[in-house]
Amino acid sequence: MEAFLGGLAILVDPYVMLMVLLGTVLGIFVGALPGISGSTTIALLLPMTIAMGPVPAICFLGAIYCAANFGGSITAIMVNAPGDPSASATALEGYKMAEKGQAGLALGMSAVSSAIGGIVSVIVLIFAAPMLARAAYSFGPPEYFALALFGLSMCAAIGGDSPIKNLIAAALGLLIATVGMDLTTGVERFSFGIYELSDGIGFVPVLIGLFAVGEMLDQAARRVGKAQIIHLDAARVPGWAEFKKCNRSIWIGSGIGTFIGALPALGATTAALIGYNETRRWSKYKHEFGKGSIEGVAGPEAANNAAVGGSMVPTLALGIPGSATTAIILAALIVQGVRPGPHLFNEQPTLLYAVFASMLAANIFYLVMGLYMAKLFARISLIPPAILWPAVFVLSIIGAYGPNQSMGDVVIMLVAGVVGFLFRRTGFSPAPLIMGLVLGGMVEETLKQSLIIFGDDLTGFLGRPIALALFAVTATGLLWPVLSRLLRVARAARA
Amino acid sequence: MTHAGVGGGTDITARMMMVQAPGVFKQEFLVVNRTAGSGAQALQYLASKPADGHTIILVTQTHLLTQLRNPNLPQFADLIPVARATADPQLVLVRRDSPFRTPQDLVEAGKQRSLRFGGTHVGGVDHVTIFAFGRAAGIQRPTLVPFRGGGEIVINLVGGNIDTAVVNPGEAEAQLRAGELRPLISLADSRLDAFRDVPTAKELGMNVTGYTLRGFCVLKGTPEDRVAKLEQGLIEAMSGPIYKSYLQNTGQAPDSVAGRQAWAAQLAEFHKDGREALQALGLLRG
Repeated sequence: MEAFLGGLAILVDPYVMLMVLLGTVLGIFVGALPGISGSTTIALLLPMTIAMGPVPAICFLGAIYCAANFGGSITAIMVNAPGDPSASATALEGYKMAEKGQAGLALGMSAVSSAIGGIVSVIVLIFAAPMLARAAYSFGPPEYFALALFGLSMCAAIGGDSPIKNLIAAALGLLIATVGMDLTTGVERFSFGIYELSDGIGFVPVLIGLFAVGEMLDQAARRVGKAQIIHLDAARVPGWAEFKKCNRSIWIGSGIGTFIGALPALGATTAALIGYNETRRWSKYKHEFGKGSIEGVAGPEAANNAAVGGSMVPTLALGIPGSATTAIILAALIVQGVRPGPHLFNEQPTLLYAVFASMLAANIFYLVMGLYMAKLFARISLIPPAILWPAVFVLSIIGAYGPNQSMGDVVIMLVAGVVGFLFRRTGFSPAPLIMGLVLGGMVEETLKQSLIIFGDDLTGFLGRPIALALFAVTATGLLWPVLSRLLRVARAARA
Repeated sequence: MTHAGVGGGTDITARMMMVQAPGVFKQEFLVVNRTAGSGAQALQYLASKPADGHTIILVTQTHLLTQLRNPNLPQFADLIPVARATADPQLVLVRRDSPFRTPQDLVEAGKQRSLRFGGTHVGGVDHVTIFAFGRAAGIQRPTLVPFRGGGEIVINLVGGNIDTAVVNPGEAEAQLRAGELRPLISLADSRLDAFRDVPTAKELGMNVTGYTLRGFCVLKGTPEDRVAKLEQGLIEAMSGPIYKSYLQNTGQAPDSVAGRQAWAAQLAEFHKDGREALQALGLLRG
C-alpha cells in the first residue's frame, strides 16, 4: 500500500507529469500518421531518455505507447488509412461512419472506449500482473494454435454480407501469410528469389494499400465525385445514448484486449481483430456491422488499448516483451539499470506503481484531448476529395516505406491498393483477408510447432486442457446456427 | 549499416557504438537499416558501395549462413573483419523441475532419445549451435522446436514444452534469478563470472562453444591503412563509458570488444560449423 501511494505521489511531480503530457501529445500525433508507429518513435527517442532517470523515462515512453494506439484510430476513421496497425479493425466500421457524416461520433467513441479499455487493463495490471504472468507460461504453441483457430473461425461472418466471398478473401489472406521463410523448415516459400519477400509480406503495407489506396482508386474511378453527404452532423460527439449502446462492446473489448495483450506472442492488432469479431457476435444490432456500426468502433478500440496494459504484464513480470513496442520499452528499462522480472514486484514496487500511475494519467489525458479535438479532426471530412486524397496517397507511400525503409514494401502497398480497389468493385471485404493474413501464419506455425513437440502425434492435443476448451468454444461457435435450430425444433416439439 | 530493424538488439548495438565514434573519427556516422532477406539485402548494399572503408557492415552469424545459402551474394571471403562489438556466451538451460540435474543426465537422456531443443528458425544460428553441441556431446541429433525469438524460447522452456534450450543469459535473466531455469552447461570458452559453478562444455570434454556474435566488417579491397585506422578507432569508440555501460546493463560480456584477429578467427570457426551443419541438415544446395 505504501508503495502504491509512493507511486501515486509521482503524479504530483510536475516534471514527471510534464513528460507524460508530452508523451501523450507526441503519441497521438505519431499514432495518427501512417508509417510512424509508436514503436518506431520510442526506438528513435530511446537514446534521449537515457539522461532522464528511470521514472520520467519510462513514464514518457509509456505515455507515447498508450497514446499512439489511440492516435491510430484518427486516421483510420477519417481517411481509412490506419495510422497504427492495431487500428485496422477500427477502420472497418469507423470509416463507414465517417462516410455517413458521423466522424465526430466515431472519433469521440474511439476516445472514450480507448480510454476505458486502457484504464481497465492498467487496473487489472495493478492487481493481477503476477498472476496473469503465470498464465503466460501455460500458453505454448498448442494453446496459441487453438486461440488462432478460434479467431479464424469467424472469417465467414465478418466483412461483407456474402459468406462465400468472405471465405474467398480469407483464403487469399492465408495464402499471402505463407510467403517467406518457413520457421519449421528453413525454406523460403513463394519468394521467387526476391529478398524483399524472404521475410514474408509485411502486414503494414498490405493494410495501408487495401484501405487507403483502394479507397482512393475507388473514389477516383467514380465519374461523379461521391455525393457529398451532409456534414452538419460531422462534429457531433457521442452522448449518453451512444455510450449506453456501446457499453457491452467496450467491456467485451477491454476483457479480450487485456487477456490477449498479456500473452507474450500476441499484440494489439490481434486483440483488436478478435475484439471486433466478438463485439459483432454479441451485438444486438448485428445488421449495422459493415455499414458503420458505432459498436464496431468501440469494441476494437477498447481491445487494442487494453492490450497495451496487458502487454506490460509479461514485459514487467517476466522480462519478456509482448510486442515490438514493449521490446523497446524493455530495452529502455534495462538501459536505466532496471531488470524486469518477478522480483521487480518485491524489489522496486514504487517504480512499478509509478509506471502504472503514469499510464492511467496518459489514458485520461488523451481522453480529454481526443474528445476536445474530435470536433477539429472531424472537419477533415470537409476537405474536398481532390485535395484530401493526394495527400493521403503521399502519406500511404511514406507509411509503407517507413517501418523497414524498403521500396519493396511500397510496391506491396501499391499492389494491395489495386486489390483493395478490385475488392470494392466486386463486393469483397478486406476484413477477412486481414484476419487470414494476421492469424494464418500463426495457425500454421503453431500447429507445426505443436506437432514437433508432440512427436507428430495429433493426440497430443488431448493432453492440453486449455487448448481443448478453446477448440470446444470454436466448435460451438461454428455449429451454433445448426444447434440453435435443433434447440428450436426440440422446444417446438415439446410445446 | 545493419540488417536489423530499428530498435532491435543489433540495431541498438550499432547506435551505441556510434555515440562516441564521431568524436574519435571526427566524422558523422549514419545507420542504414537494410532488413530484407536475413542480411542478404545488407550484403548487396555493401557490394554496391566502393571498397573505401566508408561503408561498414555490422555482421552477425546470420550473415554467414545467408552467404552459405546464397552463393551469388558477397561471400565470407569477400569481407574483411575489422572489430568485434559483442560476444555474448550462451548457456544450456533446463527448467527448475527438469529430471536433468547434471550435464551427465542430459547427455544420457540424449543418447536414449532425441532431445527437444528450443531455438530460432530451422537452418538459423541457434540450429547450427545446437547441431554442433549434439555432435560434440555424442547424443542423438537433437530435435529443434523453432520459435520466433528468445522470449518465446524461455517461456516454452519454463512451460515445459521443450527439454532444453541454448540461450544468452540476458534473455533469461528474470527466470534465472527466480530459479525457474537452471543452467547446466556453459558454452563459453572459460567459466563466466556470473555463473562460477556452471562447467563449460570444454571442461566436460565437448569441443563446442556458443556465442552470439556481432561485429564490424568492410568490403574486401579496402586499403590496409584504412582498415587499421578503422579497427583502432572503432575499438576506441567502444571502449568509452557509454558502450561499456550498455554491455554491462544488457548482461553481455565486458570483454566483448576485440580486434580483428580474434574476430576473424571466431567468424571463420562459425563459418565452418555452419557449412557442416547446413550440409548435414540438407539445407545447402549443390
